[in-house]
Order: sequence, then structure tokens, then C-alpha cells
Amino acid sequence: MLEPVMYVGGVYKHNHMVELVEDLGGYILQKNVMQTEVVLLMLVPINDIAIVEEKAKELLGKLTRAPLTGSEIATVAPTLAYHHLPHLDCDVAEFLRKQGAKTNMVGLARGVGKRICQLTAYERDLINEHDVAVFILGNYEHCIIEKSKRLYEGIEIPVVVTGAPELRTEDVPNATAYVGNFGRILHHMRHSEELRTLDKLAEVIGKVLDDIRKEIAKDPPSVAPPRIKKEIEEQVQEIIDSLHPLPITLQLNGARVKLPYEEFHEHLENIKFVEGVTMKEVAQVLPSKMRDFILIKPRPKSETGFVI
Amino acid sequence: MEQLETFIVESPDAVGAKTTRTLIMDTIADLSLSRVIGRLHVFVDPVEPVFIFAALLRLGTPSIRLKDFAKVDMGALGKDEIRIEIDKEEYTIKLLNKLWERYGKENIEQPDKNVLIVKADPLKEMDAMSELVIEEPQQEVLDRLIDAIALRIIPEGFRVRKHELSMSHVLFVASEDTLKPEWLAKAKDMLESLRREENA
Repeated sequence: MLEPVMYVGGVYKHNHMVELVEDLGGYILQKNVMQTEVVLLMLVPINDIAIVEEKAKELLGKLTRAPLTGSEIATVAPTLAYHHLPHLDCDVAEFLRKQGAKTNMVGLARGVGKRICQLTAYERDLINEHDVAVFILGNYEHCIIEKSKRLYEGIEIPVVVTGAPELRTEDVPNATAYVGNFGRILHHMRHSEELRTLDKLAEVIGKVLDDIRKEIAKDPPSVAPPRIKKEIEEQVQEIIDSLHPLPITLQLNGARVKLPYEEFHEHLENIKFVEGVTMKEVAQVLPSKMRDFILIKPRPKSETGFVI
Repeated sequence: MEQLETFIVESPDAVGAKTTRTLIMDTIADLSLSRVIGRLHVFVDPVEPVFIFAALLRLGTPSIRLKDFAKVDMGALGKDEIRIEIDKEEYTIKLLNKLWERYGKENIEQPDKNVLIVKADPLKEMDAMSELVIEEPQQEVLDRLIDAIALRIIPEGFRVRKHELSMSHVLFVASEDTLKPEWLAKAKDMLESLRREENA
């Protein structure tokens, strides 16, 4: 199993860290160089964490666990109006992004009201393509509970709900987790207690993601999503020219490739791994609901009988 | 006079009332409306559901017309001209824009910083021109106020709305369901009690 970690340290000699992780069979997912500092988001084999920690100490850097790394999260607002944007929604999305997740903002067409709210089939399918959905709701306990009874119908991924009142998760129907102290906030969240609330949200989402990871580990995918990413980067030239943010977005159990499906799906299906298998043997290449992108879902070990 | 002499947010849901209060303050600050609203009373019941917003306004300066800051005269003898002599320079740009829109750029000359010559029939146009509205601060404020209340403060799902707007007060009743007469009556009561406070 791979452990998601974040390394923060100096630029000097950081390539030692990169090489060590690659040698151990881990993956570097993102590298951000900010002047003299570098932030690496990596997946490290869980048994080798101690070696990587040792290296971090030697380079005077800091290694922290970043459970949001390598996940794709949908932050869902009832609409894209002033009521929710730019503050709160963008704050949440931005904060989760800083923690290593890829966030997509979804504004519903008819998500308003506690009695009249609806989710269209397209929205439902789009949200289901993510790892976790964060629903950002409002100020009133009654509204949050009433709305939760119907709004998440058909959503199969875990649902994290935010709102103003402090409620227990059990009180919010159909929610996997609930985080209070949010509500409809129309200013930039930057006070210390607001930042603590955002920390709490990241922590809760981290726990939810860890549960998904445990679930996946019971029947592991035939090919790990970061491996898919690596092979595509090496074998598909066009991905280098793609201007989309994160042209290959990792999910806990899959990857979104930002290339047109019609043109590229055969190319991707025929990617060869050194183990002698092709992509279509170990994964399904599907059309994504997001634009004309491609969604790759690895087949589980129980289906193929092997893990590469 | 103090800003926001009364500011009440009432609701059976205490946490919701507190957050709503913050959100109203944020919106008022964002749209710089704090000097405009004198007294404010909001009632929210999410169970009913109803949202009532009653406020007394202090709109400040009325519309500014051309005659308020300039002398409008006949132009040179025997020519179809109107001569405008501007006393307050700050409105010149807005005035020019209005005049260009109405008479066309080619018909307006500015021989001096404070003098404008408009080629138009003075007998027909002079009176209308001196009444020309150059700036409407009250209307702008009201537009911002409606933006704040209808588009930012009232919960989005509350799409059935009734409102009253005048130069002295604003009243909004909103709900997800059909409005009940008792809510409208309550709104009127809230406004009346604000008025009584104001006059006391």
C-alpha cells in the first residue's frame, strides 16, 4: 500500500529525495518550487516510510502525512450565485487544493431550497466520478436536515456536508460526515478560528479518504493509478502539450486523462506495460462526463487475478 | 446620527441567526450601504419557511440637475447656440457624456475649461437642458440595496417574494411556499415598530 506524504524543504539537493522515492517504487505526483522552497507531493510504499523520513531529516526538510494527496474532490454548491461564490466555496476548494487534493467546483442547476432542490442525472453522474463530494450548505439546522433527505439521491461516493450549526453526523441523513461552523459566509475565511474550521474539514475528508483506501486495499486494483499516470506520460506524447490543469488527474481508484475520448481511447487501451500486459487488460478506458475527457478505472485483482 | 441604530436578527435557530447577522454585515460592508440603512429588523423562521427584511433608509442627496451646478444661457447673438458655464468641475465628465448622447459629439464645443457651447435651438431646448439629471445618487444606492437584499441576503431557495420599496423604507417578505397573510402582517408590524423607534 502507498502512503500519501508531503515533503517541504529547500530546493538544494531535493533531487536526492525524488530519486530515493522513485527507487523505492513510490511516485512523485506534484512538484512545486517556490523560490528557495520546494513542496513535493508523493506516494511512498508504507514499509519504506522510515527511510524517507531519515532522508528528510538529513536534508533538513519536513515530511508530513497528506491524506488528501492523489484524490479528486467535488465541492458542490447549490448554485453558482453570489450566495455561495466567491467566498466559502472557493475558500474550501482552494484550501483542499493546498492540502494536495484536486478539487472541481460543481454548481447545481436546481440545488436551491429545502423542498424544491433537485439533482439532475448529469450532475449526479459527474459527481459520482469523484472520490468524495463536499456539499457546502447554509445556516439553518432545519434546512440542512430537510435538504439532506433528498439532495444526495443516487450519489454513490461518500458525501461530506458543511453548515453553520454543530450537528452530529447521525443527525444529517445520507451524509458520511458533517462539519459545522461553516454556514453561508460572505467574507474571505482568514481568521484563526475560521482556518481551524478548514483544518477540521481537511482532517474529516482525510479520514473519509483513508476509509476508502482501506476498502480498496481489500481488493487492490490490478494496476495502481499513479502507475497508469506514469505510463501515459511516457507513452502518449500529446499529454505533454495539454494545457489543462493536471492533464492526468489521479483519483484513489482511477485517473482522469484530459484528452478527447474519440481520438485517444484506442491509443490508451493499447498502452503496453513492461510486464507484458496492455492497458485494456488491466483497466477500463471510459468516456468521462466531464467534457470529452477519458476516465480510466483499473480492474480489481479479483477480476484479473494479478497485480502488476 | 449613528449608523445602524437598530440591528436585530430574530430566529428560533440561534446559530442560524448569528451567521445570518454576520452575512448581512458583510454584504452591507461590501456594497458600502452602512450609511444608507438606519434601522434594520430581520426575522427568519426556517421551519415555516419565511424570511422578512424590514429597514428604514437614509438616502442622502437627491438627484443633481444641470441647473444645480451651472449657468445655462443663450449663446452668441443670432446663432442657434446654448452656452453652459460650469461652476463645479467635478460633474463635467458626466455632463459631457449626457450631452454627447443627446446632441452628438459634433454639436458640442468646449472653448474653455468651464464653458460648453451646444449647437441647439435655445428657445426649444434651454429649459429642458437646465433640468437635465446628471447624477442620481439615490437611484444608485437603491440599485445597490436591491442587489444586496434580493441577490445576496435572502436565501436563494426563497423564490416567492413580495417587496415594498420607497425612498424611506424597504420591506421584503420571501418564502419557498405561497406567502401567508400573517407573514405580511408581521412584516408591516416590524416596519411600524421601527418607525415608532425612529420617531421616539
